Amino acid sequence: MYDFEFERPRSIADAVKALKTEEAIAFSGGQTLMPTMKQRLAMPSKVVSLTAIEEMRGVRQDGSGIWIGGATTHATVARETKDSYPALSSLAARIGDPAVRARGTIGGSVANNDPSACYPAGVLASRGVIVTDRREIPADDFFEGMFMTALEEGEIVTAVKVEVPETAHYAKFIQPASRFPLTAVFVAKYGDGVRVAVTGASESGVFRWTEAEDALSGDWSADAVDGLSAPDGSDMISDLHGTGDYRAHLVKVMTKRAVAAC
Amino acid sequence: MTEHLKMDEVQPRLLDETTQGAIHRPMPRPEGPLKVSGRATYAAEWKMDNAANGVLVRAAIPKGHYKVDASSVEAMPGFLGVYTDRMPRNAAQGTMNTNPAQIGDEIQYLGQPIAVAVAETFEQARDIAAALKIDYDRDDDVAAGPDTAQQVNEKDDPFDQGDLDRAMADAAHSVDATYTTKGHNSAAMEPHAALAVWDGDKLTVRASLQMLGYNRNELADSLGIDAENLRLLSPYIGGGFGSKLGISPEAIAASVAAKELGRPVRVVMTRNNVFETVVRRTETRQRLRLALDADGKLTGIGQENWQSNLPEEPFAEPVDLATHFLYAGANRRYGQHIAIVNRSAAGSVRAPGEAVGMLALENAMDELAEAAGIDPIDLRVANIPETHPENGKPFSSRSLAECLRQGAEAFGWSARQAPGARREGEWLIGMGVASAARTNILQESKARVTLNPDGTALVETDMTDIGTGTYAILGQIAAEMLGLPPEKVTVELGDTDLPKASGSGGSWGAASAGSAVFLGAKGIRRRLAERLGCTPEDLRLQDGVATGGNNRRPLAELMDAPLSEIGHLETGAKSNDVHQAGYGAHFAEVAVNTVTGEVRVRRMLAAMAAGRILNEQTARSQVWGGQIWGIGTALTEGLDHDPRTGHIVNNDLAEYHVPVNLDVPDLDVIFVEERDDDANPIQAKGIGELGLSGAGAAITNAIYNACGVRVRDYPATPDRIFSHL
Repeated sequence: MYDFEFERPRSIADAVKALKTEEAIAFSGGQTLMPTMKQRLAMPSKVVSLTAIEEMRGVRQDGSGIWIGGATTHATVARETKDSYPALSSLAARIGDPAVRARGTIGGSVANNDPSACYPAGVLASRGVIVTDRREIPADDFFEGMFMTALEEGEIVTAVKVEVPETAHYAKFIQPASRFPLTAVFVAKYGDGVRVAVTGASESGVFRWTEAEDALSGDWSADAVDGLSAPDGSDMISDLHGTGDYRAHLVKVMTKRAVAAC
Repeated sequence: MTEHLKMDEVQPRLLDETTQGAIHRPMPRPEGPLKVSGRATYAAEWKMDNAANGVLVRAAIPKGHYKVDASSVEAMPGFLGVYTDRMPRNAAQGTMNTNPAQIGDEIQYLGQPIAVAVAETFEQARDIAAALKIDYDRDDDVAAGPDTAQQVNEKDDPFDQGDLDRAMADAAHSVDATYTTKGHNSAAMEPHAALAVWDGDKLTVRASLQMLGYNRNELADSLGIDAENLRLLSPYIGGGFGSKLGISPEAIAASVAAKELGRPVRVVMTRNNVFETVVRRTETRQRLRLALDADGKLTGIGQENWQSNLPEEPFAEPVDLATHFLYAGANRRYGQHIAIVNRSAAGSVRAPGEAVGMLALENAMDELAEAAGIDPIDLRVANIPETHPENGKPFSSRSLAECLRQGAEAFGWSARQAPGARREGEWLIGMGVASAARTNILQESKARVTLNPDGTALVETDMTDIGTGTYAILGQIAAEMLGLPPEKVTVELGDTDLPKASGSGGSWGAASAGSAVFLGAKGIRRRLAERLGCTPEDLRLQDGVATGGNNRRPLAELMDAPLSEIGHLETGAKSNDVHQAGYGAHFAEVAVNTVTGEVRVRRMLAAMAAGRILNEQTARSQVWGGQIWGIGTALTEGLDHDPRTGHIVNNDLAEYHVPVNLDVPDLDVIFVEERDDDANPIQAKGIGELGLSGAGAAITNAIYNACGVRVRDYPATPDRIFSHL
């Protein structure tokens, strides 16, 4: 490692202040940032850890939804939402491996918006709202593209709010070595409609498969997916783990499986 | 004294006469508890107070020249030095016995080690390596892969017998198919590591190596020193699989830096180093042609292959090794084309040749059986040749038909149905078979065996145990011959001060080093017989008591000092006059998901015949390893290269998927009873690589039987199967 400053503020306000320094970067679980820094792909002069901020941690009921602090680890989310939102709990419980789940956080995951991360699909399908130090951003407006979000310079994800659906399921086809999704689909059924969010597949990162949402809102059954054609493979990621056409095919397969498992 | 044998004649089956019961039995490896409790010290783990740490610096361009600017990092914390002297381009090839290519300031592939940065701590050295300023003179004329190579070396005198074209034209049934395999990395658990210590002109290197006798000459030659002044120590090796056959850059770099600094230097490869600089198995393209007459007899076999390597690198994947002798057929043709590329060196990765060559051959046999409407097992059995089909030599023990038949019975082959016939929900189920064959090789080997009056014994040789069970089997052979319980025998390995053995590689270690131990113990038996007053043939040794010629005496009464003998085995006429190979049959049952193209291997069975099985447990572990490599080869493993630079992009275990527990079902292994009298005095043949040969083909043949998709491009990842469903 090269030298850098390290701060561990205890409040959101102090963190925001610390991040005003040029080339400062927010550090949550570090599961992406640490390897990136080791490879010198990022060389911030100051690292501001968000892990000591009590007001950014925990899981609690929030009206009909759930509030999850941005610095809450995957392991905690998996444990704390087991009864209140089993599909989200299951998503969190299947991220990476135990070491990743013990350090990685929901805030870090959505702020990074890796095109193959699990959380963006869960949050987008769950009508999520991203809470920052300065505003609330609906998930629909938050995820802008591969590693791109609506976050401004120095803006911190302090919490994520989700609505609990009537039923939901996260169907994940893993790349066996890394356990990232090759393609994964989060399906959530609400009283007034269905949401289908896809990760791991698109060159543009997480997206909602609206054709499937329309079909499922009209006919909540795995068969309803059958009549749809899969999204266009040319927009999908093509790499050594699978072709774009294969991922496009998986979008449909995993959607169907998610509905069937609800 | 030395007990010497040149293997010119068949030797008596002494190990079938002895009665201790130490041999063959499934004995756990004695060093196992040390390994699983962290008490077996590996090369990188030796504690040395004043050791400095080196990190390899890798070339960031695929072709050109370079110059390092050490002044750019001199002021960094812990800096001790940056050295480029004698840096090899890549590791020596197996049994090379001389220095690997050392090409000075030239770069021929991205990732090539070009310098070692040395500092007080590993972290400081890593930082220095990353910050080091390197001036590159880049050559843009890069051959990133075989398709863009300007130079392709053809095999000088490819074998061509009869008229294959004619045989194909006249055939009742034929197959003409092209198969491709991606490159492979050995991915041994322990990364390569070396700790070099100089004492005047004497150099001691602790390293992770497979063949110390060769490695000593390779390192001495690389450094320009006398091999007599070099001692290598490799008591424990965390897997080799070919990647530690030859001396490699970290050992040379550590030795050079330690000399310059006048203090010990340790260099440990990172996992990325292992993927980028250690020899890879070449990618291959193979054209297989098989011609069958109306009676179900092969009339022609052709195997032509395309592969790649660095310039002037003395290695070619012997893709067609087993094809030469496995099946009959009068008309035979082979060809080999090696593209010269800017990729890391190609070399031996487990079962070089058969591991990929038998995928194509055994897939083609499956296709031929389908075309001819013959059961794949019947087709194979019907085409086992009487003598070597190309040189007429007799075969030594060869239980291929028994392996196929006994394996089929044990596996339940008769329940196999037509493709697509067996469905369970989304899954289609199928069975596949493939032959296994691996040439058996004997190498010169020495070992010292010492019997002590207290009924303990010591075996000493520079042989290595790369996780294969050498400690166990050498102790068992000595125990059996000397009539002692195996726990009374201590085995010392991996030290060039000890008698020189064959080393571990080519599946020859157990038989070669084992025969040397056998001979050493045989010499001791001769001396004990003299003392007891009987002939060596009449001597019986069991549980520390000698019996013979109406005498029965405890060992302690026959000796007042230790008895020591060196066993010395040399290869002889038998290696040349008789064709020797291990044989087997692989069976696999797979499930193919019709919706996603995923393949799950449900069960595998290997029926193996490799002469005398020295230790049923370690032999079974070897076969398991082969079956698991077969799964990786068939389904998940493949190096991917950047099409612009040739760089290996999946250079870690998160991108290059080696099978893990979830990928591996219950594996069954049966051993077909056999002795190979032509092979060596212990009648054993190699088994490690045999377990891999053909294993992947059984899986892909099962995929066809399940869903009707022929896999001709490896690995069979789901997207490659899905597109044909």
